[in-house]
This record gives sequence, C-alpha cells and structure tokens, in this order.
Amino acid sequence: MERSWRADKPLPSALSPLARTTPVYFLVVVALAAVVAWGVFVYVSQQLSTGLGVTGMNTPSYWGLYITNFVFFIGLSAGGIIVAALVHAAGIERFKPVARIAELLAISCLIMATLFITLDLGRPDRFINLIRYGRILSPLVWDVIIVSVYLIISMSLGYFSSRADLVRCLQTFPRRRGLYLLLTLGYTDVSPQALERDRRILRALAIVAIPAAVLLHSITAWILGLTKAQAGWHTALLAPLFVTSAIVSGMALVILVTLLSQRFFRLNIEEHVTVGLGKVLALIIPVLAYLLFTEMLTVSYAAESANFAVIKEVTLGRYAPLYWGLVVGGLGIPLFLLAVPQVLARARASVGSRPVPRALAGAGVAAVLAVLVFSASRGTTLGLNVGGDTTEFPIRFGVGAGLVLLLLIVAALAYPRPEATVEVGLAAALVVAGVFAERNIIVLPSLMQPLIREPHVSYMPTWVEWSLMAGVYALGVLAFVLVAKAIPLVEVEEEEPTQAPGDERLGRGLR
Amino acid sequence: MPKWGMVIDLDRCTACQACTVACMAENNVPFVGQERVEEGRLMQWQRLLTEVEGEYPQAITRFIPRPCMHCEDAPCVKVCPVGATYTNEEGVVLMHYGRCIGCRYCMVACPYGVRTFNWYKPEFNEVHRTYLNPDVPLRPRGVVEKCTFCIQRIERAKQEGKKVGSEGDVVTACTQTCTGGAIRFGDLEDPESDVSRLSKSQRAFRLLEDLGTNPKVYYLKEG
Repeated sequence: MERSWRADKPLPSALSPLARTTPVYFLVVVALAAVVAWGVFVYVSQQLSTGLGVTGMNTPSYWGLYITNFVFFIGLSAGGIIVAALVHAAGIERFKPVARIAELLAISCLIMATLFITLDLGRPDRFINLIRYGRILSPLVWDVIIVSVYLIISMSLGYFSSRADLVRCLQTFPRRRGLYLLLTLGYTDVSPQALERDRRILRALAIVAIPAAVLLHSITAWILGLTKAQAGWHTALLAPLFVTSAIVSGMALVILVTLLSQRFFRLNIEEHVTVGLGKVLALIIPVLAYLLFTEMLTVSYAAESANFAVIKEVTLGRYAPLYWGLVVGGLGIPLFLLAVPQVLARARASVGSRPVPRALAGAGVAAVLAVLVFSASRGTTLGLNVGGDTTEFPIRFGVGAGLVLLLLIVAALAYPRPEATVEVGLAAALVVAGVFAERNIIVLPSLMQPLIREPHVSYMPTWVEWSLMAGVYALGVLAFVLVAKAIPLVEVEEEEPTQAPGDERLGRGLR
Repeated sequence: MPKWGMVIDLDRCTACQACTVACMAENNVPFVGQERVEEGRLMQWQRLLTEVEGEYPQAITRFIPRPCMHCEDAPCVKVCPVGATYTNEEGVVLMHYGRCIGCRYCMVACPYGVRTFNWYKPEFNEVHRTYLNPDVPLRPRGVVEKCTFCIQRIERAKQEGKKVGSEGDVVTACTQTCTGGAIRFGDLEDPESDVSRLSKSQRAFRLLEDLGTNPKVYYLKEG
C-alpha cells in the first residue's frame, strides 16, 4: 500500500526545514565552509609540505591534540548509539524525537575521529597499510576493525530508521528524486509489512550496537591502557572510565545538538524529551566522578613514584586547571543543574526577589569563587596544608567538592531560574567541554612523565594544530547542517486516519 | 643462531659522547641543530643520558649511554599496527622504513624513549653529505627510526666471512669508537664472548628491569 502526501495538506513540521531555507542558514554554511577551506589550506600548505614538525609534538610528547580529539570523538559517537538503542532496543518511545539526531551524530563523530587519526599520521599516504599489513596483535588494528564495524552498524541504524521518511520525502519533493532514490538505495516499499520488517531489523541492530559501542570505547582505551611504558595509562580502570566518559559526553552532545537544532531549524521537540535525557545523564555523571576518584585515591595513597608523578602533574601541576575544571565545571555544576532543579526552585522561592538576601547571596558567590581561585593558584585547599602527599589529594578533592557545592547553592539563590531547556543545555555544554578536558589530562601528562627522564618536556599545540582542529569541527557541523536539509531531523509524524491509538504517543512531541 | 647484545661499563664511561657522534656518522643520522633540539626534535640513536642526584655539595652526576635496548619482549614490536618494526632472528629490533605509517605508537610504547621520529625531512649539511654511509638507507620524512646495532656491519661481516663481536672483530660504531672501552658488543649466546661473561657480572643490571621487557643491553654499575 503506497501512501502519498496530498498537496492540499500542510507540510508536517519535521519536513519544513527541508522546504524552507533562511538567509541565516546560507551565512552559516558559508562561514563553516570558509573554516573548512582554511583547514584544508593549512593542512596542504603546512603539514603535508613540511611534515609533523609544524605541530607542537615532540619527544616525549609523541601524541598531542589530534589523538586527544580522536579519543574525544570516538567517545562522542557513543551517545548517539546509546540514545538510539534506548529507543529502538529498549523501546523507550519518549526519546524517539531525538533518535534521528543521535544516529546522525554517531556517524559524523566517528568520521571526524577517523579524520583526526589521519591528521596524526606521519605518512597519511600509507594509511592503507593498516589494512594491507594489519597486525592483529596491535590494539590500533583492533580499533580499525571495531571502528569499521561500528560505522556499518550506525549507518545501517540510520538507514532503517529513516527509510520511511526518505520515501515520504521522495513523494513530497519530486525534484530531489535522484537524491532520495540514492539515500533509500532504491528500496521504497513502505507497506506495513516492509515497515514492520524495518522495525525488526532496527531492534536487532540496536541490540548489537550496544556491545559494539562498549567495545569501541574499550579498545580506544586499550590503545593507551595496554602500554606499560606510560605511567597513568596502565590501569585496568581505563576502559570502564572511557566507556563511562563516552556515554556521558555523547549523551550530552545529543542533548546539546537537539536543543541547538530545535532553535535553528524550528523543530518541534517537546521540552520533556531533552529534560528527560538530562535526567538520564544526571544518573551517569556520578559514575564517572566515582571512577575518577577511585583512580586518584588508589594512585595517590599507594604513591608509587611513576604514577604518582603523573597524578601530581594532573592535580597540582600544569594540568590542574583542566582537572579542576573537569571536576567542578564538567561534573559538579552539570550534576547540580540536572539533578536538583526542584530543590533549587524551592530555595529560590524562599529567598524571593527581596534585594538584601539576593545581594548577600551574590556576595557569597564572589567570596567562594575568590577562595577557590586563591587556593588553586597557591596549590593548596583553603590555605590548609593537609597531611603528607599521600593523604592530601583525597582531602583536597573532598574539600574542593564541598566548596563547589556551596558555591552552587549560593549562586542558585542569587540568580533567577532560567528556562529548563537552557539549564539542561548549559549542563550538556559543560559536560562536553569537561570530557574534552578529561581526554587531554589522560593523554598528555603521562607522555610528559616518561620513565626515563627527558631533557625537554613541554607540549603546546601550534596554530597549525588549532587550525586543523577547527577545520574538522567545522566540517562535522557543516555535514550535519547540510544533512538537515536532506533528511528530516525528527521522525515525520504519522497522520494516517487508520493510526492506532498507541501510536499517538509517538507523535506527541511533534505537535 | 647468535643473540646480539651489548654491555656498557659505567665505570669506564667518560661521558665523552664519541659513541653518539660515531653512531650519527655511521647511520646517516642528521644533525638537527640547536633550534630543533629546543623544540624537542633531537635525533640521536645512541644518546648520553645525564642524571643529577642530590644537591650541591653532595651532588653526583651520572651518565648513561643509551642505545636501543633490543628487548627480547619488545613493547614497540608488539604494538606496531603494520609490522613496520620487528625483531630479526638474531634478536635485533629493526625498522621497515617503507612500511611505517608514522603513527608513533612504538615511541609511546617504548619505556626507554630510544626511538626518534622524522618530524621534518632529514637534512644533511654539505660536509655531512660527503661522508654519508652508502650501506645505510636514508629515511624519508614522517617515519620512525632507531638504533639497529649497526645491522649493516653485521650483515657485511657475514658476507665477507669476518667474525662479529670479539676483540678486533666487527662491532657497532659506538663500540668501536668508545674511548674508555666501556661499550662491548657481541653474541650473548656464546659463553666465551665478552658480553655474555660481563652480563653475568655482579655489577650487571638492565634499565627498568621490572617491566619484563628483557633488554639485551646490560649495564655494569659504577663500582
């Protein structure tokens, strides 16, 4: 039974971004394309012609920003699959409106990760050697295999979950027939039997995708963690830590991109979808904090010299701003924003809009911030020198966390409550940034603390690395923005009169 | 089948760095210049490590010449994704420059930091070009390189029917040039060789022995 879209019917909201394009959109595309062009220019004129010498990498910082980003994007692609799996495998229909965005993110982040690893190669022209001479004992080859498998799974997920919509587009936009025939691979059967088969395949794919996602991030962790030469990496906790970071950052990215595309493309996604995802995120953030704390306590209590040197560099040395930024800004504040908005609302109500308590609360924020900045700059907590090196870190961690909590409560009282989506979006952005910091403090400091001391130890990315990073980021966003014009970002609402009552729930978010 | 190994007597080392220079000349390792060294892009296959222990007036400076350890269980060989680094039958860890993709995973995996990377295209000054060793291939930009125990000397000696390792025989460039006679090279499997005898000395130790990499370079403690 072929359904066709009748011309007299208004276009469903999910399809409207495909039909109408604003001038702002063109500006954004041009700006992104310019950044991509700059990246390509810098890559060809600098890195390809001179070599990796134009980066800041050196001995012993053999790896830098490219690998950090590779690990980061491998992680981000998890979120998409996890959310898609929640919808297709676990049948949580509530998150269905973000499933498409999640799948697109999984694919694009994976491709960006591959671009970053290619940028890192001294001989990108020999990339094919990974397949020609691939040694199965190398974790890097495991990664090549799992990335390929994962890419196929996520692309198939994307295909089967969007096929029905692509057929609808085919009927709605006859001028783009060629594009949609290509995207559907010519399979345009939308009979109930065919759709049912799609649903069954989706379910199976989503179930397979979960272990694949766990494996993908574990293997990426094992590239680092199986290396005994680098103190700080060689811990069995690395894989679980990576998987957790991946889920946390990936889900945050799905939330963030959903909120942004909702504004940008005027999509109809109800508030409870992203707020609900935020609640799930709030459940996983403490797991990540727990894993980070366990690792830090184990290393700092045992104080085995090589590992201890790394953790000192991370918590007190040149990476301290990133580490405490992660603990406070990437985990503490988002958790607070996501988990306890009701508590905050009640507290706010008690303070009300009276100027004196609000001013006091504002002063409190300033005071706690000042103490935090001061103690961070002095490398102490509250000016207290607590115990020897071994006990110092857990105590510092605890005192720091307490202070942050205090700061948050006071800050929350001082400022009026923003919209729920703004709160969730802010939390998601902070989590993504925090996990990026985390990737850096896992990859870089270990390299800078080699077991055999090196005379030259410093790494600062050069403008070339920043440019190429910007180029890849812009390419990812550009691809997403372009795809948004070809594929509806949310599933098109069913408006058939024969619609089963159960299906009504699905479409609710689209109204 | 011989197992090539090295013994470095730290008591005899004068820290003159002749080994480093001889190695660079023998193996066509470019002198990268001050600027590159400051960038952390020094290229030396045999490098002199300096370690200052304690503070003045109790300070002691230790010098350790550091070639590749040619580990029996080499972590670098284990992680290479394309088999561009491998251990040959005689226990020497070598590079296949034409296959290396420049991912630097081997450098990350090497606990001894002995590997160097061609961050730039190697450049040789006019003088250096006059004495480039035709037996050793020049490396392209973007690949990893490392100490080979002067494999070209070992192979040539085999072809010419010469002996390797004992007094007056063919040895590595660093061994040959060592002013204090601190570096010995030879067959660890041969019970009669200097290296196998010295490697069993009371003073013998290997770098980061706990890691279980089984280096074939032994050091003799300062007595």
